[in-house]
Amino acid sequence: MISFWSWQWNSLLSWWQWGVLMALPPAVILLYFLKLKRQPLQVPSTYLWRKSIEDLHVNSLWQRLRQNLLLYLQLLLLGMLILALLGPSWNARRLLGDRFIFMVDASASMGSLDEEKTRLETAKQRVGELIDEMRSGDVAMIVSFSDQARIVQHFTDNRRLLKERLEAVGQTARPTSIDEALRAASGSANPGRTASDPSDVQVADALPATVYIFSDGKFEDVSGFSLGNLQPEYRPLGADDASNVGVVAFDARRNEEYPDQLQAFARLQNFGEEDRTVEVELYLDSTGGQPLDVKAVQVPAEGAAGVEFRLGNIEQGVLRLVAKTEDAFRLDDEAWAAVNPPRQGRVLLVTPGNEALQMALLTEDAEALADVSVAPPSILKDEQHQRDAAAGKYHLIIYDRCQPVVGDDPERPWEAMPEANTLFIGTVPPIAGWKSGDVVSVPQIIDTNRAHPLMHLVELGNVMIVEGTPLESPPGGTPLIDSTQGSLFSIAARGAHEDAVLGFEIVGQREGQTYVNTNWPLRLSFPVFVLNVLQYSGGGERSLATAHVQPGQTIPLLAGGSVERLNVRTPQGQTLEVPRNGIGGFTFSRTDTPGIYEVLEDDKLQYRFAVNLFSPNESDIRPRPENTIKIGYVEVEGKPATEAARAKAWKLFLGLALVVLLVEWYIYNRRVYL
Amino acid sequence: MSTVESTLLSPELLAQLERLELVSRKIFRGQLKGERRSKRKGQSVEFADYRNYVAGDDLRFLDWNLYARLDRLFLKLFLEEEDLRFYALLDASSSMGFGDPTKFLYAKQLAAALGFVGLIRADRVKVETLGQPAGKPGPSWRGRASMWRMLKYLEDLEAQETVSLAEGVKNFCLRNRGQGIVVLISDLMDKDGYEAALRYLVSSRFDVYLIHLLSEEEVHPEITGDLCLVDCEDEDRAEITVSAPLLKRYQRTLSAFLDGAKEFSNRRGIHYIFARNQIPVDQLIQVYLRKRGLVR
Repeated sequence: MISFWSWQWNSLLSWWQWGVLMALPPAVILLYFLKLKRQPLQVPSTYLWRKSIEDLHVNSLWQRLRQNLLLYLQLLLLGMLILALLGPSWNARRLLGDRFIFMVDASASMGSLDEEKTRLETAKQRVGELIDEMRSGDVAMIVSFSDQARIVQHFTDNRRLLKERLEAVGQTARPTSIDEALRAASGSANPGRTASDPSDVQVADALPATVYIFSDGKFEDVSGFSLGNLQPEYRPLGADDASNVGVVAFDARRNEEYPDQLQAFARLQNFGEEDRTVEVELYLDSTGGQPLDVKAVQVPAEGAAGVEFRLGNIEQGVLRLVAKTEDAFRLDDEAWAAVNPPRQGRVLLVTPGNEALQMALLTEDAEALADVSVAPPSILKDEQHQRDAAAGKYHLIIYDRCQPVVGDDPERPWEAMPEANTLFIGTVPPIAGWKSGDVVSVPQIIDTNRAHPLMHLVELGNVMIVEGTPLESPPGGTPLIDSTQGSLFSIAARGAHEDAVLGFEIVGQREGQTYVNTNWPLRLSFPVFVLNVLQYSGGGERSLATAHVQPGQTIPLLAGGSVERLNVRTPQGQTLEVPRNGIGGFTFSRTDTPGIYEVLEDDKLQYRFAVNLFSPNESDIRPRPENTIKIGYVEVEGKPATEAARAKAWKLFLGLALVVLLVEWYIYNRRVYL
Repeated sequence: MSTVESTLLSPELLAQLERLELVSRKIFRGQLKGERRSKRKGQSVEFADYRNYVAGDDLRFLDWNLYARLDRLFLKLFLEEEDLRFYALLDASSSMGFGDPTKFLYAKQLAAALGFVGLIRADRVKVETLGQPAGKPGPSWRGRASMWRMLKYLEDLEAQETVSLAEGVKNFCLRNRGQGIVVLISDLMDKDGYEAALRYLVSSRFDVYLIHLLSEEEVHPEITGDLCLVDCEDEDRAEITVSAPLLKRYQRTLSAFLDGAKEFSNRRGIHYIFARNQIPVDQLIQVYLRKRGLVR
């Protein structure tokens, strides 16, 4: 940064006031010369004086100047006052370079208050100052970023436009990730070019640019990114002594022992050097403004503490937790949880007869999750069923040793895979990609994908299988049970739905006789597996089962029936329409504001979900301890926050005017000769 | 010792002056027998020289001892002691009326003191101002008893003459033949220059002492602001704005003026003494004039 002085004037006077002001200096000069009457003084002889004056007349201009010193001081004083009234301000710095990219962090932590101003406001002010420092011809671009980047303004040399657009950068509640913003910036400075194709010529010149990153640094170092022509400048924000206590988890669950009892759990984390005691209030929307419960939580420094509320029987409602922390970061002092009424998923089991499976679907837990209907395979040819399935009547259809009818007659579009999740047992979906191999005997299970929700808590070590067919899944499919002969259970996505295929029968029929193909139904893992299937694929919801969503995350919406659109009411009361997406489901992505969102179907409340910050990374509002960010292999050191670059100078001029006045007074009174 | 008091001479000063006498490096012919050696060989006790006897010489001055030894007649010559003419020539122009004490008062004090020294040593003392008309010589005094008259005369003088320095000195020289000591007390502030005046004095073969008298206000002027300086003698006006360079320039001009006068005087055998009206008269006489050899 080169030190340079460039001035701007912001006068508050009207034109006639200026007229009066500008008339003052000539008036002073006039008055001075009118008044200038030399005092006669009789002296013995002017002989020596004459000689002295003659000598001085050699440089008479300077003498004349000197003779009217008081006049000039008066004019100077007036000038200083006029300058002060002009409202001058100057840039102490000038930007180096001619292309700038201003990256403004708009993530949740930028909402922290540092001395009555949020960090985002400070960042915007600093960017505004830098825009002021741009010379004509310089171009700049503004990018705001949270977990996603938004180009607020493309390269322009219009400073007014840049400032206008800068004001449009709003606070978000999202987490931080700078990668996308850097890529957006890099796109302009390093025009794309493939390394592999020599014929791919560079179409645009690489234009170096300076990137100013205004952030509190609450993001991971960026790896695998080359800055190329970008010259990064990191301007860290945030007070060093910032501390915060925030809610990092809040959930409501049924008591394991008494399912009609509701419990709420919250976790508070202290991002500070001192132990804190925080009062936590829990509200339920139906109780009005009265808190349901209040607790004081001791949160140790740099530690976390949990708090539990026993709530009794609450069927539905909205729980709101308020931590009275009085700290700089408010966004994490409130958390919401939705208590939704239980909702059963609609499950169709198409089977020629499978007692074990039917038994497993009749457990109390399973019944709570799903409304299971059973039909024989003959129904698959029924057009009404086909239409229902194609319209998404069921959340899950289990095809036990049978397949849906899939045709390619354009006049019979319902002859297709159903608009539902499926579980195929002993068969594979009649669509491209799925293949079953030859029948193998006694395949040994060697591994299960426990990380997948379908295999959660499913232990298959004691399960024997008589016969099975190894599976080939479409691209993107995931094997969930591996055997010595290949995958016996795989899952693959199909549009908005997923097809899970079990490569072995549970019970089979041969020559009219039913035989048992596996001892799995006798094991404890079987009902667990069935429950997993109902939970994961069945579309059922036990009350409270909605997942928490972080601001900005996309959430799939569950539709009760074959509706074409859902409505979502945001915490601000805005109702947004969500049409079916390209693959038949509903996804909602405008979860920017933390709070409770209501999903409406034909203006009827279906369920609610909560959007909470729950991001320790954002809640930790302390600036980066090392004050550097790493982008690729480049370490960018944070330049300390400087004083406002545009300094208001009217005080300076007023001070100078005062000094001039003093000098004048002194010269006038104290016989100081120049 | 005198016990008289005067505005011009304090008793203390008189007491100091009693011990002094005027000295001239030139030996002049006096009119009356005084207390100084004269050029004329005479009858004092102080031996001067021998010369051959010529007929008609006073036999009383023959050196008989020498005649006895050498058998030749030699006449003993003795220095004659005569009176000295002392002139105090005062510049009584208006410019001398400035200062505190005024330069003219200071000049009168100086003249009175030197005149007193002359009177007590039986010298002929004459005080004149430059404005004295050419044909009308001023009074001259001799003897201690004339002190009062001299002081009275001095006290009556006023600094309001308008004659130029050169004119005044010329008139003085015309009135008084070149015999004796002339102490010219002046500020030399004459726009026509002082050179002509001094030349007159020198050419008149006076033993000239020049006391260049300036007031403190002229040496270190303490004025400020925008001024119109008015010359008290010719009403000449000079507009000045007092500034540090102007003052510096004035000082330079002043010292050039003083140096010029000193150099001019020295070259012509004039004893130049610079005096300010802030130097006490007794100190000036005791220290400066004694050093310059005017008194001892």
